Amino acid sequence: ITIIRDSHAHSCISTWLNAASVCCLENMPSAEAKLKKNRCANCFDCPCCMHTLSTRATNIPAPLPDDPSKTAMKKAYYLACGFCRWTSRDVGMADKSVASGGWQEPDNPHTQRINKLIEYYQQLAQREKLERDRKKLARRRPYMPLAFSEKYGLGTRLQRQRPGAPITSLAGLSLKEGEDQKEINIEPAQALDEVEPLPEDYYTRPINLPEVTSLRQRLLQPDFQPAGASQLHPKHKHLLIKRSLRCRKCEHNLSKPEFNPTSINISSECQVLLTLTNPVESITHVTLVGCEEGDPEDINSTAKVMVPTKELVLAGKDAAADYDELAEPQDFQDDPDVVAFRKSNKIGFFIKVVPQREEDGDVTVSFKIRHDFRNLAAPIRPSEEDDAPTEAIWLTHHVELSLGPLVA
Amino acid sequence: MPLFEGLGSGGEKTAVVIDLGAAYTKCGFAGETGPRFIIPSEIQKPGQQQSIKVVQYNINTEELYSNLKEFIHTLYFRHLLVNPRDRRVLIIESILCPSHFRETLTKVFFKQFEVPSVLFAPSHLMSIMSLGINSGLVMDCGYTETLVLPVYECIPILSAWEALPLGGKAIHKELDGLLVEQCTVDSDSSTGQSLPTVIGSIPEEVVEDIKVRTCFVSDLKRGLKIQEAKFNLEGTAERPTPPPDVDYPLDGEKILHIKGTIRDSVMEMLFEQDNEEKSVATLVLDTLVKCPIDTRKALSENLVIIGGTAMLPGFLHRLLAEIRLLVDKPKYRDALATKSFRLHSPPAKPNCTAWLGGAIFGALQDILGSRSVSRDYYNQTGRIPDWCCLSSPLPESVYDAGKTPPPLMKRAFSTEK
Repeated sequence: ITIIRDSHAHSCISTWLNAASVCCLENMPSAEAKLKKNRCANCFDCPCCMHTLSTRATNIPAPLPDDPSKTAMKKAYYLACGFCRWTSRDVGMADKSVASGGWQEPDNPHTQRINKLIEYYQQLAQREKLERDRKKLARRRPYMPLAFSEKYGLGTRLQRQRPGAPITSLAGLSLKEGEDQKEINIEPAQALDEVEPLPEDYYTRPINLPEVTSLRQRLLQPDFQPAGASQLHPKHKHLLIKRSLRCRKCEHNLSKPEFNPTSINISSECQVLLTLTNPVESITHVTLVGCEEGDPEDINSTAKVMVPTKELVLAGKDAAADYDELAEPQDFQDDPDVVAFRKSNKIGFFIKVVPQREEDGDVTVSFKIRHDFRNLAAPIRPSEEDDAPTEAIWLTHHVELSLGPLVA
Repeated sequence: MPLFEGLGSGGEKTAVVIDLGAAYTKCGFAGETGPRFIIPSEIQKPGQQQSIKVVQYNINTEELYSNLKEFIHTLYFRHLLVNPRDRRVLIIESILCPSHFRETLTKVFFKQFEVPSVLFAPSHLMSIMSLGINSGLVMDCGYTETLVLPVYECIPILSAWEALPLGGKAIHKELDGLLVEQCTVDSDSSTGQSLPTVIGSIPEEVVEDIKVRTCFVSDLKRGLKIQEAKFNLEGTAERPTPPPDVDYPLDGEKILHIKGTIRDSVMEMLFEQDNEEKSVATLVLDTLVKCPIDTRKALSENLVIIGGTAMLPGFLHRLLAEIRLLVDKPKYRDALATKSFRLHSPPAKPNCTAWLGGAIFGALQDILGSRSVSRDYYNQTGRIPDWCCLSSPLPESVYDAGKTPPPLMKRAFSTEK
């Protein structure tokens, strides 16, 4: 008996992504995550060692708003790293009067210029689109120069932009001669004659190594990449992704990772379609039974399985079945909840699988398969009766199925 | 709730822009002012301490496919946190990237991650976009090599490219050699030991950190004197006073004493011209010589220097000075009439300039859409168009639907209609 696993049951898993903050265990809906650039609003990373910063409070004397001559203790908050002793005061960030929400990340100084550039190119792109549409609608004139005609293939490079051909990708995006320059305007960047040299004392002054940022520290702030540690500003902590898996067929949540250990849900069940093929020519009866607790053969299963309780009947292998159109189909009265399909000596049936652990490895199930077997080989001792029916014996096998990983 | 937002929210979602460099990958979204992340182009296999470089041109396809798959997976699910199927991809590439690598990368994106479309954009061309100019001579000082490519009126002059294998990789090798040869290490049990006896070999990460934090490029006068002293066999030329030594802490309470002479001399290899009289400065002039005469002034007055290696302190100043010195030498004096050189400062750090150009281009949704290679096209043809290959069939969208299918490139004298 051969068992074929249907792999379709597992590619039917759909995934969706949710962001969650590991530091404050806050789940963020995807729209909000997008707006905040996948960073937590509350928590910061230490720019030196990447651990999460904690907010510390001190009391500082501050003049009372009503009576400036008197002072009272006011709470001031600053950020500090418990691991490397970095504080927000090291980079000149003023203490804030609120515990959270007061600290801002510095803006990229080039933002305005970049937005202007994008606007400019968008206008050029619109113009190109208009021209392209106009060309499509305009009638082809018969006296067009040969160079532009279809006969020679591509025409001029500037006329046809080949998708995927990177060289010409910008060819259209420039103002051509004679075009109206009034609407579209950008100040082209000015190149400079001189570059700032290194300061004189660079060659002689000793380096204070802890003050110089490492490459890794710089790369964490792509917009600034400061060389001096006194310019390393903390960034909001990056969120982690939760990849939730859901079976498309039964709409059950298979796995929904949680960062908060107090709210873990064990995943739900899914149906798997198995195909059983009968290699012998006689009818075979098959019963499936789950493994008992403490079964010595059941060592690798990582999921519970519920097998059909009814007996499955498989028709014998009939080599002529494909060609015999007049053969009457045998009526087995299959239960549609159990048997998915039947084709000559094959049968497809469902089992229910409940993964027990959210593992990275394969989902494995075990069960026992019990079937009858008739030995049709000729007996050694010729019997006295002809065509004596051979005795059926029942065999039980242990089956272990690896259903593949939970991930789609 | 699912991440799939409705298209009613103002058009498509922003495209993903990835600059996959040999040392570092810059990734982020179109329309933004800088990459979200700059991470090493490496993957870590469980159980192995040594990380594996993703950009390798000489490994077999299977291994490359598997490395790229894992790397792109971390890009999407650890850093960008978006679903790959939702967004177009813009890849910044070097024009010298081998086709095999490109094709494998495309296959990973389409087959593994099922992205809607992919567009390869040359880094030199994208850098021009970050400035709002149409012409410029772009020099990319990266890890594997320094590559110069001029762009005139938005079209790269491909025949004029020049390159030298003088980049981060070569610098690290040289620096490593000097450290092993000349520097000593103090550990808690001994002092003044040579490097190899204490820690064996230095990991490249550490060499890179030493380069970034302690080394610099001297100005022209000082640099020439250092070179003179190095090559002077009689020992008569005197070397300028070296900068102070640095005590660099290594793992496990060891201290590496970095000699000051290394700090200012290791970068001279970029300008030394010992091999066939080539240096990163001569690349610029050699390129100009190859360009058509009427383009040269526009190019020389619009130099754009990009790439991580260009961020070394003192590099740009020295480069400009070297170029001006060399243009008066006999080799170039008569060949080049243009003597004025000007340098641009793009609105991004040099290691992100190409990325920024890509982000600006990627923000033009219609243009990106029409010029990208869609997943359908890739599934039909099985290949990605390349600038060096003329046999890619044109996708049908270029022509009106309903007409007869377009002919492939035909020879001029064919009589077929």
